[in-house]
Amino acid sequence: MKNKSSFFLIPYLMWLLLFVAMPIILLTVNAFTDTQGQISLTNLRAFLANGACLKMMVNSFWYALLITGLTLLVSYPLALVIANCRHQRLWLLLVILPTWINLLLKTYAFIGLLGQHGLVNQALQFFGVAPRQLLFTKAAFVVVAAYIEIPFMVLPIYDSLHALDKQIVAAARDLGANAWQTFWRVIWPLTLPGVRAGVQAVFIPSLSLFIITRLIGGNKVITLGTAIEEYFLTTMNWHMGSMIGVILIVIMVLVLLATSGKEQNR
Amino acid sequence: MNIIELRHVTRRYPDGFTALHDINLSLEPGKFYSLLGPSGSGKTTILRLIAGFDQPTAGEILFKGRDITNLPASRRPLNTVFQNYALFPHLNVFDNIAFGLKVKKVAPDEIKKKVERMLSLVRLEGFGKRSVQELSGGQQQRVAIARALVNHPKVLLLDESLSALDKKLRKTMQFELRSIQKQLGITFIFVTHDQEEALAMSDEIFVLNDGRLQQSGSPSAIYDEPVNEFVARFIGDSNLMSGHMIRDFEVEFGNHRFECADAGIKPGEQVQVLLRPEDLSLVEPAQGKIVVDILSQLFLGDHYEIWAKDDGGFNWLIHTVEKAPAERCGLHFAPDAIHVMRLGESESEFDQRLSQYEEHEK
Amino acid sequence: MRKLGKALYLVFAFILLYLPIVYLAYFSFSSGQDMVHFQHFSWVHYQALWADKNLIAIFLQTILLAILSSLIATAIGTCGAWGIFRLRGVQRKTLLVFNNVLMVAPDVIIGASFLICFTALGIGLSFWSVLLSHIAFSIPIVVLMVLPRLHDLDLTLIDAAQDLGAGKGLIFNQIILPEIMPGILSGLFMALTYSLDDFAVTFFVTGNGFTTLSVEIYSRARQGINLEINALSTVMLLVVLLLAGGYLFLTRQHDISLGARS
Repeated sequence: MKNKSSFFLIPYLMWLLLFVAMPIILLTVNAFTDTQGQISLTNLRAFLANGACLKMMVNSFWYALLITGLTLLVSYPLALVIANCRHQRLWLLLVILPTWINLLLKTYAFIGLLGQHGLVNQALQFFGVAPRQLLFTKAAFVVVAAYIEIPFMVLPIYDSLHALDKQIVAAARDLGANAWQTFWRVIWPLTLPGVRAGVQAVFIPSLSLFIITRLIGGNKVITLGTAIEEYFLTTMNWHMGSMIGVILIVIMVLVLLATSGKEQNR
Repeated sequence: MNIIELRHVTRRYPDGFTALHDINLSLEPGKFYSLLGPSGSGKTTILRLIAGFDQPTAGEILFKGRDITNLPASRRPLNTVFQNYALFPHLNVFDNIAFGLKVKKVAPDEIKKKVERMLSLVRLEGFGKRSVQELSGGQQQRVAIARALVNHPKVLLLDESLSALDKKLRKTMQFELRSIQKQLGITFIFVTHDQEEALAMSDEIFVLNDGRLQQSGSPSAIYDEPVNEFVARFIGDSNLMSGHMIRDFEVEFGNHRFECADAGIKPGEQVQVLLRPEDLSLVEPAQGKIVVDILSQLFLGDHYEIWAKDDGGFNWLIHTVEKAPAERCGLHFAPDAIHVMRLGESESEFDQRLSQYEEHEK
Repeated sequence: MRKLGKALYLVFAFILLYLPIVYLAYFSFSSGQDMVHFQHFSWVHYQALWADKNLIAIFLQTILLAILSSLIATAIGTCGAWGIFRLRGVQRKTLLVFNNVLMVAPDVIIGASFLICFTALGIGLSFWSVLLSHIAFSIPIVVLMVLPRLHDLDLTLIDAAQDLGAGKGLIFNQIILPEIMPGILSGLFMALTYSLDDFAVTFFVTGNGFTTLSVEIYSRARQGINLEINALSTVMLLVVLLLAGGYLFLTRQHDISLGARS
């Protein structure tokens, strides 16, 4: 039996070695070597010494936080409404459907929507607000990123709402809690795992977005992802690019630990 | 010849837990056997060993005198009806039943004939095209039985097969199982934790506890003559108390001496005394062997269940067809209603003692 | 009143979700050249799309890439899932952790580290490097889709098949495979969408003139509005709608059988 199972595992283990282990190792090696191939901390020092780099990292973190917050704000009520209405599966499918449409296309649509004479400016005009530059602003970046991420936040929250025992809610009402108290004291704490999963699913990709920064944010917003792309494909400094990659991974792991650590305490 | 025999079978798991201790069983062809015990008693382990899903650590399993201990399950001439039925969800009723025949490459028209016959045996004619997931529990159960029987096994193993059904359906299925077994004349081994079920269906029952065989015998023998406290408590309701032997045919318990039907035990030996609640009757205090105060009585449809306390503080369980005549009654029972059990006496010692003094009587 | 509020929010959210998509499709039928004023209805952009042999070639390449990579990833992933399923304890946990590395790793990191890898291994950047990458990032999702099915597999079914005389090969083909097939199919489907959807990884590891639709759209979009892209996205939207409709239809049938069971 043992031999059989390892036979099945051979192609899978090859994959693990070549496409999981090796990339991580090579990325780390690249990050801690200089252009001559010597082991050094040059890249880390350069990163830490450069104010712009540090500012970029903080900004990247801050934007990811904003995007996650905005997404949560829209998604939780949506998940709540869907979990309490008929034809849940249909609504859920309608939430998932946009994720099947290529990210590039959705982003591209916003170039039209947010343009100087686009739909949003037309709407603003209708309400008497003068048209303004929307495209290539930081706000536009945050809104578009949040739009892209909404389904990934709705799904885990919906799952935990759906798993919630309806009788528990009824019990809370029975014990005299009003709608708000029921939500705040019962529903919210019980769906926190879903919220956490959603935050993980949104925050981490938000740190590394680079399509949206390029197409919507102009070059006003530089995230860790944009920086990596820049170093790898434009300035061709792979060592520095790898260093930022390693830093991104470290931040990611910290975020994962911070959001799932609490769950273990429960 | 015995169709199935287990010789000194022990099953020990790698973590040190011993599921079976030195089990010896002999099963004759054409009988309905039950393996009865609480969960964890090892009854399902025995079934899995016989079926071939598991191998014993020591001992051997014989089929018609041939050692099959290491024969894989797929090559044993016996089939199993699983606890959860284990019907293949992606196959319809017909294909589920036909599975074993198809595996053996039986000709398609032959398969069709056999499956149809099985469907009518389990009274599911016309259900062949149904998805097994559409069936009710009782119907699934029948498909599982048909799927096993279509292969003409010499022995049919049933693992807690009725436990998922509701009470009424279970009674029907007990009856049907028994009639199918009579009709086909093959050996059934039925695993259950339900003593009523075992008593109702079996020719012979094996009572198991903690991986050890406690007692085997016909339902009435096990009910009337349990060898120890475990069997007495597990099968039927009982009044159990400790006492000691005065001499042959006389025992003392609850500070009274009573005439009894047991012998072959040393005078003064500590014993356990069993009285079945239905062997007790309530009479005028003066006519009873013991005087009791009635604590409660429940009418259960066909009898009254009465709890009563004697002067020594023992709580008696009494089943009668009539209400208790008064608050304070006499308790009456015949000498042969008292069943005396020696502490730690094994089944074989019990049988030996029984045969000794029964010969003596003759 | 509360009901109305909920309904309004639902409508608002779905307008938000679908506005960009509908907006794109709407202007694909405009005879103009921008997404500001709808001129009049015309198929002109679809005709341009149809005439754009280059774009059609890229479209076909993308589909080929998706089908090839998802099939290979499904095969490797299913074997991997079976292997992991048979393991216990630490070995299993370790493999699962490593399996999830590519699931949580950002696209940019995957792309950059694969680029380093290919360079180190001396593999040139071309269709092959893209194919390898797509297989690589699709494998873990296949494993994650198949594993729960294996866990749900009722092991007594295997006992039952054995009891009825089936050998090991037969048990795998006739019992295990049909039982985990839904998992394998959703794994395949996910791998397909991963490949079709990917931009970042392909962007890093492509070369030698090979592009996918995503990369092509990116480079065109950087130059501004081009209603040919609108036409293309409308076509893709239709494909997605058909897929979703098929999925809904299939799961609804599934629901009926589930409903009858309970």
